[in-house]
Amino acid sequence: MHSLPRRLFGSLIFAIALPCLLHAQYSVSGTVKDTDGEPLIGVSVLVVGTTTGTVTDFDGNFTVNVPDDRNALRLSYTGFVPQTVEVSRGMAPVDITLDEDVANLEQVVVTGLASTIKRSNLANAVSVVSGEELTGVTSQQTVDGALYGKLTGVNIVQTSGAPGGGYAVRLRGVSSLSGNNQPLFIVDGVYISNVELPSGSRNASGANSASEESASNRIADLNPDDIESIEVLKGASAAAIYGTRANAGVVIITTKKGVAGETKVSFNQDLGFNTIIKKVGRRTFTADQVEQEFGGTTPDQIAAGKAARAAFEAAQARGEIFDYEDIIYGEKGFISDSRLRVSGGSDRTNFFVSGSYRDEDGIIKGTGYERFTARLNLTHQINDRLKIQSNTNFVRSSASRSFSGNENEGGLSYGYTLAFTRDYVNLFPDEDGNYPDNPNFSGNPLQTRDQTRNEEDINRVLQGINVNYRLLQQDNQTLNLVLNGGLDFILSKTFVYVPENFQSQRGRQNGFLAEGKNDLFNYNYSAIAVHDYYTDSGINFTTQAGITYINQSADQLLTQSTQLIPLQTNLGQGAAQEIDQTLLNVEEFGYVVQEEVNLYDRVILTGGLRFDKSSLNGDPNKFFTFPRASVAVNLNEFDFWNTSGPIDQFKLRAAYGVTGNSASFGRLFTSLTNNNIGGRGGFTVDGQQGNSTLEPETSSEMEFGTDLGLFDNKVSLTATYYIRDVKDLLYDRSLPTSSGFSNEIRNDLDLRNRGFEFQLGLNPVREDNFYYRTTLNFWFNRSEITRLGVPDGSEGEDIPSFVPPGVAFGLGLGTFYINEGSPITGLWENVDGVPTQTGDTEPDFQFGWNNNFTLFQNLDINFLFHWREGSELLNLTRLLTNLGNTTPREYDDLTGFIEDGSYFRLREAGINYRIPLNSDVIRGLKVGISGRNIFTITDYSSYDPETSVKGGSGLSTNIEVAPFPSSRQFYLHLGFDF
Amino acid sequence: MKKYNILSLLGLLALFVFSCEIEEQFDPNGPSINSVLTNASKAELDLLVTGIEAGMRNGMAGYVTASGTIARELYIFDADPRNTEDLLGKGDLQLDNNTFYITGPFNSRYQVVKNVNILLEALDNTDSVSEAEKQGYRAFGNTIKAYMLSQVLDMLGTNGIRLDVSDPENLGPFLSQDASYDAILDLLDGANSALSGAEFPFFLSEGFRGFNTPQTFSQFNRAIAARVATHAARYDRALSYVNASFLNLDGDLSEGVEHIFGTVAGDLLNPLYKQEGQSGDQLVVHPRIIANATPGDERLDKFRLRVQDTGQDGLNGAYETALYATATSPIDIIRNEELVLIYAEANINLGNLEEGERALNIIRNAADIGDYSGPVTQEALIDEMLYQRCYSLWGEGHRMWDLRRYGRLNANFLPIDRAGDDVFTQFPIPLSEGV
Repeated sequence: MHSLPRRLFGSLIFAIALPCLLHAQYSVSGTVKDTDGEPLIGVSVLVVGTTTGTVTDFDGNFTVNVPDDRNALRLSYTGFVPQTVEVSRGMAPVDITLDEDVANLEQVVVTGLASTIKRSNLANAVSVVSGEELTGVTSQQTVDGALYGKLTGVNIVQTSGAPGGGYAVRLRGVSSLSGNNQPLFIVDGVYISNVELPSGSRNASGANSASEESASNRIADLNPDDIESIEVLKGASAAAIYGTRANAGVVIITTKKGVAGETKVSFNQDLGFNTIIKKVGRRTFTADQVEQEFGGTTPDQIAAGKAARAAFEAAQARGEIFDYEDIIYGEKGFISDSRLRVSGGSDRTNFFVSGSYRDEDGIIKGTGYERFTARLNLTHQINDRLKIQSNTNFVRSSASRSFSGNENEGGLSYGYTLAFTRDYVNLFPDEDGNYPDNPNFSGNPLQTRDQTRNEEDINRVLQGINVNYRLLQQDNQTLNLVLNGGLDFILSKTFVYVPENFQSQRGRQNGFLAEGKNDLFNYNYSAIAVHDYYTDSGINFTTQAGITYINQSADQLLTQSTQLIPLQTNLGQGAAQEIDQTLLNVEEFGYVVQEEVNLYDRVILTGGLRFDKSSLNGDPNKFFTFPRASVAVNLNEFDFWNTSGPIDQFKLRAAYGVTGNSASFGRLFTSLTNNNIGGRGGFTVDGQQGNSTLEPETSSEMEFGTDLGLFDNKVSLTATYYIRDVKDLLYDRSLPTSSGFSNEIRNDLDLRNRGFEFQLGLNPVREDNFYYRTTLNFWFNRSEITRLGVPDGSEGEDIPSFVPPGVAFGLGLGTFYINEGSPITGLWENVDGVPTQTGDTEPDFQFGWNNNFTLFQNLDINFLFHWREGSELLNLTRLLTNLGNTTPREYDDLTGFIEDGSYFRLREAGINYRIPLNSDVIRGLKVGISGRNIFTITDYSSYDPETSVKGGSGLSTNIEVAPFPSSRQFYLHLGFDF
Repeated sequence: MKKYNILSLLGLLALFVFSCEIEEQFDPNGPSINSVLTNASKAELDLLVTGIEAGMRNGMAGYVTASGTIARELYIFDADPRNTEDLLGKGDLQLDNNTFYITGPFNSRYQVVKNVNILLEALDNTDSVSEAEKQGYRAFGNTIKAYMLSQVLDMLGTNGIRLDVSDPENLGPFLSQDASYDAILDLLDGANSALSGAEFPFFLSEGFRGFNTPQTFSQFNRAIAARVATHAARYDRALSYVNASFLNLDGDLSEGVEHIFGTVAGDLLNPLYKQEGQSGDQLVVHPRIIANATPGDERLDKFRLRVQDTGQDGLNGAYETALYATATSPIDIIRNEELVLIYAEANINLGNLEEGERALNIIRNAADIGDYSGPVTQEALIDEMLYQRCYSLWGEGHRMWDLRRYGRLNANFLPIDRAGDDVFTQFPIPLSEGV
């Protein structure tokens, strides 16, 4: 049955071994099995001190030719501890048992642009999240949302709870003020875009900026189920080789690949529902309270109080006291997620094909998200020197997000309308479908829900090509050329419609229609040569050098039409049209060199340099240098180490690296914008002063840590301390606005982030019928502004403390404030006219606790707790409900709007049962139930302490204004393997 | 051996290291400021003029409504609580120096000043127009600049204004209130002198119809000067300015200069227009305005009985603004009615009580409430003049300064709606000014 593949394997072995035949050599054969006695297929067998080797076949067998002067084989296999076996000429076939790698020490981690290193030799705390950890417990909406609590050093906020996502990922604190605080995402070598594409809804809602439109970030387009693993390079010391794109860290996503062998088909179906994470509640009233709280002492106020009481009593008599929070946010949104995967391959060609369709309704009627993805990952070995790999992903998604977040008099954002809507007022449409005006606000939330639209549609193609050409293979060295190219093409359409009879529209815009067409095209390529060299004594040198290039372009067209013809949703059917176009073009080019020296796995030294230039810098052809250096020492590999002691692994490591970040596009220029009066166009300054000499901000990081493995690696421990200095931070400073400009971009601010990350993995029980593994993650970060203008005490222009533009709503309510010596994440407000720090958005610490049980081999129980302690929020939703007198009475005694946002949450939990089958057709059948955000313990008075009204960029976290409430999800899972 | 391979590696890399030269960048999204500062064409100068006129409208609503709230002319009922809290001094709240009610008007006024300064610098560096034409551009620019600065001074009061702002890196000091008035009047006088012999090669909008030649624009310049002198309580100068303006005691009181609005791309809608019956975004007339009204006063048609008289934040009012009929109705910059009132005020303060009374009667009769019948004393006529200003200029950004210069911007003269509310007399200098 297996004869054909075996023959093919044989010829592969022959091909690999061919160059060695010229030398005097002997043959060794053997079998590799796991601890249960099952043969392991595809185990890599390498002759130590050479590049010669083979892989095991379907029965775990191998035969390899060993040169006369060599006497050891090294066997390695993903997920298992490698083993070195002594061999000699004429020996009998060897039986080898590999142990499972419970501590993940052998996991391979990307360290250069084209090289990998196994985890036990790594000098950085690179977090790796496997596809299983990502999606194994529960069904995930988006990749970024699925990460939280699973790795150290990360802080994630939700910019919108609307279906389709809206997350901001921040690694090891703030690294930039000028926008790009989000890590670089690379999927199979493609630098992918994570933009939020604004819809122009601000022009109807009155929101202050595009960032307040609560758009999704486009990582949402990835199907989490396609992911094999995610590596997170959190700081500069790990990410330096990515140069000016890596200041906020790098997230490297690898998608699943096919494996040679039988074709595997699996189909998974999740059914579930969304429900609001927490209802804040509504203020309860008696008739007396209505009169008192809506009335007053002056004649007008007394009359108003009496009128309100009469209306309340009449409504009560009719039984029409509504709970509008429940009416708007109380939907149970149905979720269906179907995924099909087919993978397999021959000895030369492997494939992975997947398709997925997710259809999700939100907690507000009419909101929802649909995503269709298709993927083909193909690997083909053209000959023993040349391998080509292609990863193609097509995504089509659409989201209906309705209106949430900040606005000004648009009457659209639910949080606003609900804050002012009184529950005794009937806002339901009459029998002709006419919605009554909201007597207390500029919009009727029921009309918003039923008659407005805010939609985004995405068509996206991601394509990565990877070519690996082995130029040279000799006994002790190889030279590979790795060519990598990627493109990311997004064609997006946004659509916003507010009918002409909407309350806030009448008399002004008389209906609002906006359609955006965004065309984003990014491509990148790199060419890297990697040279591996083994000395006779077994020291390994890996040298790599190459070039990288990135090109990004965007054409964003927003057309809006107002003064609409009734009931028309065609851009032409309005009396006033306006067009905005935003163009972008960025080019970056860099050189990379890196040298890695591995002394018998005992000491691993790495040094590298990257030289980058970018059109975003003032001088587009000036190269900036980003060095890195690291050392890892595996004490347990030294001869003096007592291998019979309890400590299996003891590594000390230190790493240093520098990354950069260029200013966002357009900041080099001081431009005029156009305005119009009486049909004639004019020029005006637009408030933003550019700077044509900008240089990138840099982040240099020193990281120290230790990795310990104890008691057969049943206990593993990782501790890391880092100091990350962000120098010459690009920041917008509020200018004295009497200059005619409201802000300028500057380069003279330094910031220090320090933090500690600790991970404890325990695997105390590994019995057949009871397997338990738990991971405890603990981390915190502290920041301090170390320089503003010139350092204290030296000559030159010092910059006074200032409120960064556009991050919050002024010192009157609370905002971020840049003050030398203070954290950058502080919340400040005017206390007696003096800016005073009254909160800090940075958590005191965070703690993630992941638990995996396997009972009786077939029952998996997993749950993940997440505790965030001491992170303050500015809750301006309550400011609104206070004003509208709708704050629940239990919060009457809260003073101020800065609140503690600590919480303890059961983020994920799932129970899965693999039904034992003896069928030739169905190889596996799995059923399960799970949930996400199942319960939260918090004192926070609003929906969810993970929130941000200003989107994902800059400093914006923990400012809450009328968000789309987060949801809880519950699922039923069905999985079939064929 | 090793050396050989490193060489081959380098040789290989050389294949890929091609010369990747990144081109010099330009902004694909708009013209650069530098392109107009040197060798500006006439078209560019004209675009700047239009930009200045259009830009004046930004932030104007804040100037009118924030000062009107403090002067207890109106309430702003919208989604921003600071309009009913900070501005009325609810509880312990003070006016904040980093909040939109001051930063909005302040920033937008100075943005126009910047546009004027760009125009002035562009004129110094171009030969595309004649000297007489340059004089015309400059006189227009400086008049508008002075007008904008006067509004900043209104809001900041004794904090004064920053006059010299042409170099963003080296901003001049904040002047005292008196010196600020001097500077603004000097600027207006200078512009007015420049108008003689000047030419206007540019077009102004319909809002300047009748005031778009150097001669007629001069009358607008003098009218603004009269208002500024009045705010400064320099009544002798106010009288001479108002006499040189388009004051017409027998003419149409509505004659004047306006901001116009439109639905065209880049244009604005009238920010002070509020839809009838609209609740969540409304300017509500302060009850005292209604309570003190004279029955039959035709100016009461500025107020409309609300459909829903619900209040907000403990404040109530039965009437809403009806100043503007549609979202594209123009807003007056200055009109004859105000000039007549300035003429009356100057005369009363200079002791010409009968001339003052005569002017007030013009206003009274236009409002159909008959001649003044009270005592003809300076004190009584000041009361009467302020009363007439209240109804003639309601909701147009005057009341706070009117009350202030007569020492009436305080709780002795104004009602306190909620216990603990305060009456503020001026706005703080924005935080970003760093003073």
